[in-house]
Amino acid sequence: MEIRIKDLTRTYYSEGKQIKALDHVDLTIPANKIFTLLGPSGCGKTTLLRCIVGLETPDDGDIYIGDDLVFSKDKGLFIPPENRGLGMVFQTYAIWPHMNVFDNVAYPLQTNRTPKDKIRQQVVKALKFVQLDGFENRPATKLSGGQQQRVALARALVAEPKVILFDEPLSNLDAKLREETRKELRSFLTELKITAIYVTHDRIEALALSDLIAVMRAGKIIEIGDPKKIYFNSDDKFVADFIGRANLIKGKIEKQEGEHAIIASEIGSILALNSQGISVGQSAMLCVRPEFIRLAPEQGKQGQNIFSGQMESLIFIGEAYEGEIRIGDTLLTTTIEPTANIVEGDKISISFDPDHCFLLSA
Amino acid sequence: MFKKPTLTTTLIVIVGFLTLCPVIMLLLGSFSADFVSFGQFTTIKYVEAYTDPDFAAILWNTVLFTGGSALVATLLALFLAYVNTRTDLPFKFIFKVIAIVPMMIPHILFSVSWVLLLNPSNGTLNRLLMDLFGLKEALFDIYTLPGMILVEGLLDLPIAYLIIAPAMSAFDVSLEESSKVCGASNLRTLMKVTLPVLRPAILASAILVIVRSLASFAVPSVIGMPGRIYVLSTHIYRNIATGFAADFGKAAAIGMSALAASITLIYVYRYLTSESGKFVTISSRGFKPTMIKLKKGKYPLFIVVGFLSFILILLPVMVLFYTSMLPYSMVPSAKAFAMMSWDNWTEVLSDPISLLSLKNSLFLGVVGATIGTTLSIFVSYVIVKVRSTASGILESLSFLSFSFPGIVIGVGFMWFFVRTPIYGTITALLIGYIATYLPYGIRPISSAFVQIHSHLEESSRVCGATPFYTMRRIVIPLLIPGIVSGWILMASMFLRELTLSVVLSRPGTEVLAVQILNFAEDGLWGPLSALGIIMIFISSILVIIAAVLGKKLSKMEVMN
Repeated sequence: MEIRIKDLTRTYYSEGKQIKALDHVDLTIPANKIFTLLGPSGCGKTTLLRCIVGLETPDDGDIYIGDDLVFSKDKGLFIPPENRGLGMVFQTYAIWPHMNVFDNVAYPLQTNRTPKDKIRQQVVKALKFVQLDGFENRPATKLSGGQQQRVALARALVAEPKVILFDEPLSNLDAKLREETRKELRSFLTELKITAIYVTHDRIEALALSDLIAVMRAGKIIEIGDPKKIYFNSDDKFVADFIGRANLIKGKIEKQEGEHAIIASEIGSILALNSQGISVGQSAMLCVRPEFIRLAPEQGKQGQNIFSGQMESLIFIGEAYEGEIRIGDTLLTTTIEPTANIVEGDKISISFDPDHCFLLSA
Repeated sequence: MFKKPTLTTTLIVIVGFLTLCPVIMLLLGSFSADFVSFGQFTTIKYVEAYTDPDFAAILWNTVLFTGGSALVATLLALFLAYVNTRTDLPFKFIFKVIAIVPMMIPHILFSVSWVLLLNPSNGTLNRLLMDLFGLKEALFDIYTLPGMILVEGLLDLPIAYLIIAPAMSAFDVSLEESSKVCGASNLRTLMKVTLPVLRPAILASAILVIVRSLASFAVPSVIGMPGRIYVLSTHIYRNIATGFAADFGKAAAIGMSALAASITLIYVYRYLTSESGKFVTISSRGFKPTMIKLKKGKYPLFIVVGFLSFILILLPVMVLFYTSMLPYSMVPSAKAFAMMSWDNWTEVLSDPISLLSLKNSLFLGVVGATIGTTLSIFVSYVIVKVRSTASGILESLSFLSFSFPGIVIGVGFMWFFVRTPIYGTITALLIGYIATYLPYGIRPISSAFVQIHSHLEESSRVCGATPFYTMRRIVIPLLIPGIVSGWILMASMFLRELTLSVVLSRPGTEVLAVQILNFAEDGLWGPLSALGIIMIFISSILVIIAAVLGKKLSKMEVMN
């Protein structure tokens, strides 16, 4: 089911200061996709989620779920959360401690007076789906963090909603469990063909799970795109920096060559993707990620996007070296394969793949 | 759920009245000559109260009594906490018993049992020792300041232990280990590292015991007054209870200094407990502190701890029961056992005033706790869930009465009640009780509210439940353990209430503890003991239920 949001605004007042949690947000979330709201804390992503689900009332705007208008300031309409027919997984899981697993999962069906045998059937199905079959009579207090998370998921799915919402559901798990659960969640959601809205501040989670990512900052949505687009060729400096480690180099566009452009920077001329079409003569920012800075095969050879510098520092972290390369006054961060035969202070030459460095308007 | 601003305001008015009314009336009363001339400003009562030649001695007694009790209670608590957390003493469950069980025995009965054991004329233990060693005079006299200090110190031991033991078990042992690595001996480590790090907890415990012993009335009245040793609380009582010349103005003037001292001490206590956060000694690494092996010292030390728990718990009940079966006090002997009968029990159970006091106390316990709990539910809701400036005010108001000595509050309420038709009625006691013991209801209930994370309610709404359905299926079931334990705690406090009641109780509104005090003043130890055992029985049942429910509640809190 598609979700459309028009001109949504939500303002808080805290200690005399006005905070715009949502600043005229317009957004369409396509049906049956995993859609992630990503951003630093305080960017408004959770507020947006809570407005969609109905736990918070916006100051202005409209929200449609499918064809149903669920909130409209102008029409004075507010459908309470219990009548929106959504499923949600909370950050704290919100498993009710006084009930067992069965009652927790059965709750959404009990509220709409589903017949008892139908409830049992649905609960068993939902628990089987999250691989918790046989846990029906376990008290909620006797579950591990990962199990609670699955119970919360089963509860959100049991009434077969068209849309399911997640509010940072993995942030309470330890690192290893988080990785496993992320994979499972991805396979659960792909299997279901359901619209999922997922809020997180964790870029890896966003990249790994999403069909589409919307990056938010200060109550606004800055960029929407699929994970590869956001990572490889973002349109925005903040997004490029937030989604992964990035080397940003300032310069001026010299010449356009098809999709690419040549930018004159303090380390020399660089050929890079110019998908935003920044015109010749404009200032721009080059973004190149550490893993796309390659050691050039031969030392000292001049050519396209090849520069010589010095290894400033080199730290072995197991799967790779983390290095800093100095070219004049510029320091570039890079990852180098762990078997490379170099030491700090070595003179080296590096190359940038023109298709994997991109230009942003400065 | 409610119209929040009006609910908060209403509660501030009710709780504000309950906590501030006695204080304001006490202040006004202290500047009035008597009930009739209320409002006509005079300082005569202050002059009378503080130029009294006995006053300096009373003040000195109070200092020695409270300070001594703090010393006894804190030292014993330190010893017990150290032995419990840091040695391999056997049968450790006994420490839990020491920490909880004495709360079941009302203070007045504990004091009486020591009088029965150690009074100089016919104290059972004294007589036993005299017979044994052929002495002419009693070895101990409980009616002395050291006697009072010993009994009050033992009474306040559980409170001191409950403050010191958690600090001791949260202690990061690596602090001690690094001291030893630096070459310090065990003793030097204890003196230079362990005790200084625990200092905030030790001071907090000492101050709380001082506040409690300053407000204490059971020990000073049962043990102090027969020996003519007066402290502030009994001095106030003497001014309002002696025959025809009750002087509530003077009582109020004296009460003002007790109130001021108590509030100051609680302020210092708050400061210390917030300060102690800076001494972060808790290590999350989950290391068990190294247990000191007692080896040969194990059993002698166990005997010491066992003896302490014996005199704290078993002895008072045994002495009371023994006395309740005898016509007059005598040393345990074949003759004594031959003379045992249920006469005292039948006497008490057919005495109209004792029965009335039993009925009144049960009424106050049941009705008072029900009203008090209901009020606590609303107050806790506003404190935990509303969170505004006004709810902050409500929170400080509702915990203020912790620092008010009961007898002083009684005098303050007296100045108010004489001006209303409820003077001398059971309603007056009801209002006074709820005002004084409101924090006992609010604490368990607000912690139950804290447990209900807003997500628990919100997820119910998203699952399709209406606010009312959410209330019924989620909020109320999660609150019930807290409500029940709040109710029981209040009921058991009301059942044994003494300090407020000695001021507010009038003929027709006698309560159990006051009736026991009357028996004590008349030396009617037999009926007193019978009534006391009944009282202990009722309140023990309540405390046991509360402890079991509290445990259930805390288990559920681990969840969130």
